[in-house]
Amino acid sequence: MATVAPPNDTAIEREAEAWMHDPYDHFGYHNTRIHTLPCEEVEAVQLAAMNRRLAERRGQIKTLEKLADGQNITALATLDDMAPLLMPHDIYKSYPVSLLAKQRFDQITTWLSRLTRYDVSGVDVSDCDSIDSWLVRLREETPLDVATSSGSSGTCSFFPKSKRDYMTSVMGMRVQLAQKFGEHPRPGDLADKIHAIIPLYRDGHASTGAFAKYFGKIFAHDDPDYWHTCFNFKISSDLMWLAARLRAATAKGDASKVDVPPSLLARRAEWEQAQKDMPAQQLEFVNRMIHELKGQRVFVMGTSNLLYAAAKRGLDEGLSGVFAPDSVFMGGGGAKGVPLPDDLEEVVCRFFNCERMISAYGMTEMNSFSVLCDHDRYHVLPWVTVFLLDLETGQPLPRHGAQTGRAAFFDMTQDSTWGGIVTGDLVTVDWDRPCECGRTSVALEKKINRVSELQGGDDKISCAATPAAQAEAMDFLTGFGG
Amino acid sequence: MSPKRPISYAVLRGKVIETDLIEFGGRGGDITFLAPDPRLIADQIPLASPRLMEDLYELSFEDILDYLAELGERLHLKDNAYLQEALEYSYATAPTTKPIMDGFFHDMPFMFDKERIRGMVDFNIGIDYLEGWVEKAINGSKVGIRAYGARTLHIVAGNGPVLGALTVLRGAVTRGDTIVKVPSNDPFTTGAIARTMVDMAPDHPITRHLAVAYWRGGDEALESRLYQPHNIEKICAWGGFASVKHVTRYIQPGIELISLDPKRSASIVGGEALDTPELMDEAANRIATDVATGNQTACAACRMVYVMCGTDGEGVEKLKRLGRMTYDAMMRLPQALTTKPKRYDRDLKSQVDMLRLSDDFYTVIGGEDDEGAVIVSHTSDRVDFWEYLADRTVNLIPVETLDEVLDVVDAYTQTVGVFPESLREIVRHRGALHGGQRFVALGYAFNGPGLVGPQDGIEPMRRIVKWIISEEPLPGRKPFWECTDEEIKVVA
Repeated sequence: MATVAPPNDTAIEREAEAWMHDPYDHFGYHNTRIHTLPCEEVEAVQLAAMNRRLAERRGQIKTLEKLADGQNITALATLDDMAPLLMPHDIYKSYPVSLLAKQRFDQITTWLSRLTRYDVSGVDVSDCDSIDSWLVRLREETPLDVATSSGSSGTCSFFPKSKRDYMTSVMGMRVQLAQKFGEHPRPGDLADKIHAIIPLYRDGHASTGAFAKYFGKIFAHDDPDYWHTCFNFKISSDLMWLAARLRAATAKGDASKVDVPPSLLARRAEWEQAQKDMPAQQLEFVNRMIHELKGQRVFVMGTSNLLYAAAKRGLDEGLSGVFAPDSVFMGGGGAKGVPLPDDLEEVVCRFFNCERMISAYGMTEMNSFSVLCDHDRYHVLPWVTVFLLDLETGQPLPRHGAQTGRAAFFDMTQDSTWGGIVTGDLVTVDWDRPCECGRTSVALEKKINRVSELQGGDDKISCAATPAAQAEAMDFLTGFGG
Repeated sequence: MSPKRPISYAVLRGKVIETDLIEFGGRGGDITFLAPDPRLIADQIPLASPRLMEDLYELSFEDILDYLAELGERLHLKDNAYLQEALEYSYATAPTTKPIMDGFFHDMPFMFDKERIRGMVDFNIGIDYLEGWVEKAINGSKVGIRAYGARTLHIVAGNGPVLGALTVLRGAVTRGDTIVKVPSNDPFTTGAIARTMVDMAPDHPITRHLAVAYWRGGDEALESRLYQPHNIEKICAWGGFASVKHVTRYIQPGIELISLDPKRSASIVGGEALDTPELMDEAANRIATDVATGNQTACAACRMVYVMCGTDGEGVEKLKRLGRMTYDAMMRLPQALTTKPKRYDRDLKSQVDMLRLSDDFYTVIGGEDDEGAVIVSHTSDRVDFWEYLADRTVNLIPVETLDEVLDVVDAYTQTVGVFPESLREIVRHRGALHGGQRFVALGYAFNGPGLVGPQDGIEPMRRIVKWIISEEPLPGRKPFWECTDEEIKVVA
C-alpha cells in the first residue's frame, strides 16, 4: 500500500517541527495553553509530524525500516495509517536471554543499535562484565541513557531512551504539575528551584533510579540542597535482574535453575536484605523530610501507600499542613494485591497541605505523562497521538464515540527511538465528549486494565498451561490473591 | 417464534431437566446458552446417601462393560440427535474448528470398545480389585484390598469434547457416583451423552449414578451447599487452579482434592535426525503432527522442540531447513487432525511478527495468514513468549547438549516427544527427575494407547476409588490377651 502524504502546509509543517523539537519551549511552558489547543489543528500537526519522522527515521532505525519496507509504507495519509508501524512494547526485550547470562554485551549492543537512531556500534563494550557496567559505558559514550525494566517472565527489557528524552519527560511533569490548569504560570512555577523528594534511589537504569538525576536538574536546578533521595546510591540493574530471574525460577518449581552468572547469584542475600529494610527506611526518610522542609514548596513522588503511612503517622502526632500549599504529591502504583485505603487522598492532602493527590499515566517508552484531571480522566499531551486498537483484529477503532481498546501511542518528541508503541493496556476514550475540566486534549478514562486480565474468558477450563493460570496460582499460594 | 437457543441440559440421575432455564456465558464475544437454574436443582445433584451406592454392587464388571458397549453403539453421530445438536452448538464454544470437532464426535464411540476399556482398567487398577477382595497372606495376617467407588465431583476441562465421555466411563468402571460440572467451553457434549443414557436405560444404576450440570464456577450459593462431606468425597479437577480456586475454601477433612494441573509439552530431537534428507523429513512430519493435532489446544500438544544440532552456523542452517520442512508438513496434515486455527491469538501474532524484525536471532516461517508458524531460534534460547505458544505455533531451538534441554523440563511439563528412539532411555530417566511426566515417540503424542495409565504424574483412576483394607489373623497368630509382656509387640 503506497500512500501519498497530504500536501504540505507550511504553517502546519513549521508547527510540527517545533513540537517535535522542544514542545515546552514552543508553548512558553504554559500548561493551560498546551491542553486547550483545537483538536483539528492538533491532528493536522500530528499527521505532519508522523510523516516527517517516518521519512527521517526509517533510514536511521533498522527495525523501523524493516517494518515499513515489509508493509510498503512510505507515507501516511491519515493518523490511522500509522497503526501498522506501531511496535509492540515487547520488542525492547526481544534479544535472546542467554546473551545476558553469557555476558555477550557486544551482541546485545548490536541488537540495541537496531532500535535507536543513535549509532552505538562503535562503543567498545568488550570489557563490560555486568548490565550496570555496560549501561554506564553506553551512557558515558553516547547520548543514550538506556532504561531497564523486568517483567514477570524475568526478562529484562532495554529501552534505548536518550538523556534528552528523559529531560523532555521530566519537563513535562514540571510543566503539568507545578501549574494550576486554567491559570497562567506564575514566575516561580517555571524559574524557582523546587525541592524534589524522591523516596527511591539516587541513580540507576530502572525507573526507580533513573529519574532521580533528571528531577535533580529540572526541579532542583542541580542544587544538591533541593535534591533529596532516600537511598543515596545506585540501584543495581544486575541485582534487579537476578531478583526477576529468581522469581521466575521459583514459579517454575525449581529455584535452582537460575540462568545468571554465578558472581551475580552470590549477591542474592545482599538484594534480599535491601528489600527487607526498604519500607522502614523510606518511611524514616519521608519523616525526616517533613521535619527538614516544613513549610516549603516540595515535589514528592512516591507510592500511595508510603505517602499514606507517613501522613497517617504525622496526623497521629498532631501535625498537619506541613508543606507549602502549592506543593505537589504524586502517588501511584502500590504492590499488587495491597489495597489502597479508602481515606487515602483525604489523609495525604490534610497532612501534606495539598488540594489533590496527583496521579498520572505514563510509561518508560514515552516522554509524556498524562495527568488525571478533576473529572478523573488522564489527559494526553498534544504531541502524543492515541490509538485504540481492536483486541481481535489489531485494527484502529474509529476516532469517534466511546471506544475501548488496546492503547497504542505515537510520541513525536522521541529523540532516540521510533516513538510508536503498542501497550498491554486496555483504555477507554470518548472521542466526542469534551471533558468537563475544560481541557481539549484527548482524555483516557481513569479505569485502565491490562489486556491480559481480560482474556481467558469466564469459567473455561483447559488442561493446557497458560502463564496467567500459573501466576494466579502463585499469587494465591503466596497469599496476595485475597 | 424465536429460533431455538442452545441448552446445556442438566441430567440428574436418570432425569433430564430442561425447565427454569437461565442464561449463561456470552463474555468476550462467546455465545450465550441456557441451563436450568442451578439453585433450583442443587439438592438433586448429590447422591442423598452413600448407602445408595449398593445397587452398583449388583453389577459385575462384565455388566458394566455391556452397558458401556451398548452406550457406545448409540453414540454414533449419524444416529444420535442429541449429539448432533451438541456438536452444532459446540462449534461456537469450542476452541477448535468444525472439521476437528467433527472428528472428535466421529471417534467418540470407539472409546467405548469393551476390550479397550478392559485393558485400561486392568492396567490402571486391576479388575480383580474392583470385583472383590484381593487377598494375600502377609505378616501373619490375611489381608484383603478392594477398590470401592466414591462419590466424586468432576470439574472437567473443555478444550476437548472427549473429556466428559472419559469421565462418565471412568466413573462407571470404578462403580463411582459421578457428578460432572461441565465447563463453559464445552457445555453441551456431556449432557448429550447422559441424555442418551437416559433413553437407553433410565433406571440402570450407572444412569442413576450420573449427574451432569452447568453452573458458573464460583457460584457460592450452590457450591457451599454441594461441596460438603455428606455429599461428595472427592473432587477431581482438571485445569488446576482455574477450576479449583473456588473450591479450595470447601476442602476439609472428608473431601479429597485430585488436581490435574495445567501442563504443556515439549520435544527432544537428536542431532542425527538432521543427517540425511530422509531422516529430516521424518522428523518434520513427527514434529508437525504433535504440534498441530487438535490445533495445539491440548496440554499434550508440542510447543517447543529442542534439537541437538549445535548452535554454530551449520547447525542453525540445518535447523532452518527442518523448520521449513516442518511448516510444509503441518500444512499437509489432514483436516480431521488440524486446520487453520479458529482465531489466531492477536497477542501471539504481534509477538511472532515482532520476531520477523529480529532476524539476527530468529527465523519465522509462515504465520502471515494466521495459519500457524514455525519459529527457529538461532541461539539456544526459546522465545520470550514461549508460554503463549498456541494455534499451531512451534519454536525450534538448537542446543549443544541434553543438559540444556533438561533445564527447561519442569513440573509443568507433561508430554516429552523423543526422536530418535536411541535417546529414550536417558531422556525418560533424567527427564522424570526434572519433572517430565510422559515420554512418547515424537509424532505419537495423540496416536498412542489412550489415557490408559498415569496422567500428569499422578493416577487419577486409582485416586477416584477408595482403597479399603480387610484384615484377619492367620491360624496360629497369638492374641495379645494371651501374650506375656515380652511377647507383645505393637508394630505399625
